[in-house]
Amino acid sequence: MALFPLTSNFEGDFVLQLVAVDSDDTMDEVAAAAAVHSVGRRVKARPGCVMRVRRQGAEAFLPRTMKVSESGLKPTETIEIIWEAGPH
Amino acid sequence: MAVLNRMEWYDLARSTNWTPSYVTEDELFPPKLSGEFGLPLTAWEDYDEPYKQTYPEYVKVQRDKDAGAYSVKAALERSRIFENSDPGWKSVMKAHYGAIARGEYAAASAEARMMRFSKAPGMRNMATLGCLDEIRHGQMQLYFPHEHVSKDRQMDWAFKAYDTNEWAMIAARHFFDDIMVRDAISISIMLTFSFETGFTNMQFLGLAADAAEAGDHTFANLISSIQTDESRHAQIGGPALKVLIENGHKAEAQKRGDIAVWRAWKLFSVLTGPIMDYYTPLEHRKQSFKEFMEEWIVAQFERALTDMGLDLPWYWDIFLKDIAETHHGMHLGSYFWRPTLWWNPAAGVTPDERAWLEEKYPGWNDTWGQCWDVFIDNVVDGNMAMTYPETLPYVCNMCQLPIIGTPGKGWNVKDHPLEYQGRLYHFGSEVDRWVFEQDPARYAGHLSIVDRFLAGMIQPMDLGGALKYMDLAPGEIGDDAHNYAWAEVYRALRATRKAS
Repeated sequence: MALFPLTSNFEGDFVLQLVAVDSDDTMDEVAAAAAVHSVGRRVKARPGCVMRVRRQGAEAFLPRTMKVSESGLKPTETIEIIWEAGPH
Repeated sequence: MAVLNRMEWYDLARSTNWTPSYVTEDELFPPKLSGEFGLPLTAWEDYDEPYKQTYPEYVKVQRDKDAGAYSVKAALERSRIFENSDPGWKSVMKAHYGAIARGEYAAASAEARMMRFSKAPGMRNMATLGCLDEIRHGQMQLYFPHEHVSKDRQMDWAFKAYDTNEWAMIAARHFFDDIMVRDAISISIMLTFSFETGFTNMQFLGLAADAAEAGDHTFANLISSIQTDESRHAQIGGPALKVLIENGHKAEAQKRGDIAVWRAWKLFSVLTGPIMDYYTPLEHRKQSFKEFMEEWIVAQFERALTDMGLDLPWYWDIFLKDIAETHHGMHLGSYFWRPTLWWNPAAGVTPDERAWLEEKYPGWNDTWGQCWDVFIDNVVDGNMAMTYPETLPYVCNMCQLPIIGTPGKGWNVKDHPLEYQGRLYHFGSEVDRWVFEQDPARYAGHLSIVDRFLAGMIQPMDLGGALKYMDLAPGEIGDDAHNYAWAEVYRALRATRKAS
């Protein structure tokens, strides 16, 4: 349990933002924390979509239940939060 | 006694140089301060300034010019132009004075460095006059806003801004320190040739045109008068470039120019871009920021570079693309974080203004417009909490401005990170990172506003703590210039849609 700063690059938004998460947070929790600063402020919510996290430049998303402490992310590293079409 | 005609003595006076005998040349002109190019005094005697002026001529011309600007101010002092002008225009003045006035004063020390340490006698003469220019510009741009301090506390930032840790001031100081605190020759290339020739025309001539349109003749007169001085002392760098290129130092000259041009561009993207395309009332806009950039920077400065024998900067394609994009993000960012400004930004996004933006920047509605749609809905719904930030934007470790890109359907936001000696740095572009890489030791120790926040230097760690750190007192904190009156048209549109 430790405060862990990340840099959020949220799909559709225009700016990178500082997001404070916990090292025990899962990627879903990280995405939710990042969304607080983008969705409903400058980015429209996309009902039915899931917000996924990936390293900047990576194709693959990090597993949704993976913890920050297991991800190898460095403090302040930039993550992309991408809308993924949910199951229909 | 008969006075010699100026042209009979000028060349002799301007080429008079020291011949040191009690000290070495390096002691008289230490390379750290005079330029580490290994060129002897004689090489610098070829320096030939295109704009020649003597001290008596300077005094006479400047006295007349200053008298003109001061008398316009005196004549219009009771005109209530300030009280009656659009709040967006007042914001233009506040942003300009705060960002520029004390910077001019700081530039006097950079001119003084060229005046003392340049090996070129012609440059020393030009810089003496340039130094006097900058002192006058600092004083005038503090004196002119002073009459408004009693009417509007934000006007106090004309003087105060430079002493604060307000984020835009950190960015301005980082840039100006970088181009002013170097050796005399580098200063001549970076401050005068790159920054002044390239960019001050835009701030001063572009704004003068907008000011005259807005009826603010005092401001228009002041800044067009200043620009005529800038145009003269901006020519200090050109002949220095020529000497360097002729003596086999083109690569060093090119690099200094490339760094300064990029850094100046980033600062102007946040200072001038929003002013021209968002704050200036629609009916008073002469050109879009992009059009102005294309005319004054792309067309004219490109020619100045190539005439001088320099190449276009390696990043020119990136720059040409960015002049249609970056300032929209800088505006949205500074507006969204508006409590951290010392002026009240105008949103500039009424349907008419958006139509203008779409015409000037095709695709604006599908990109920045998408972010503004969400913002506008929140204002119309009275959901004001969601129109303010709850965290910091991540800022670039070079330009110190938010790391931004194009949003919405054209989403291309990207970090440009770099690990250096165990620390992870973040940059807003490939070019900002390149600047850092040219001299990492020069830049590595600086802490951005985000670094300071993470280091616990901003307490408490919330907006209140940040405003305190930035020295923004109540009455100074920025908010929408028009108190959101512009949203009424959207309310009306929504009501009409509902009714139908």
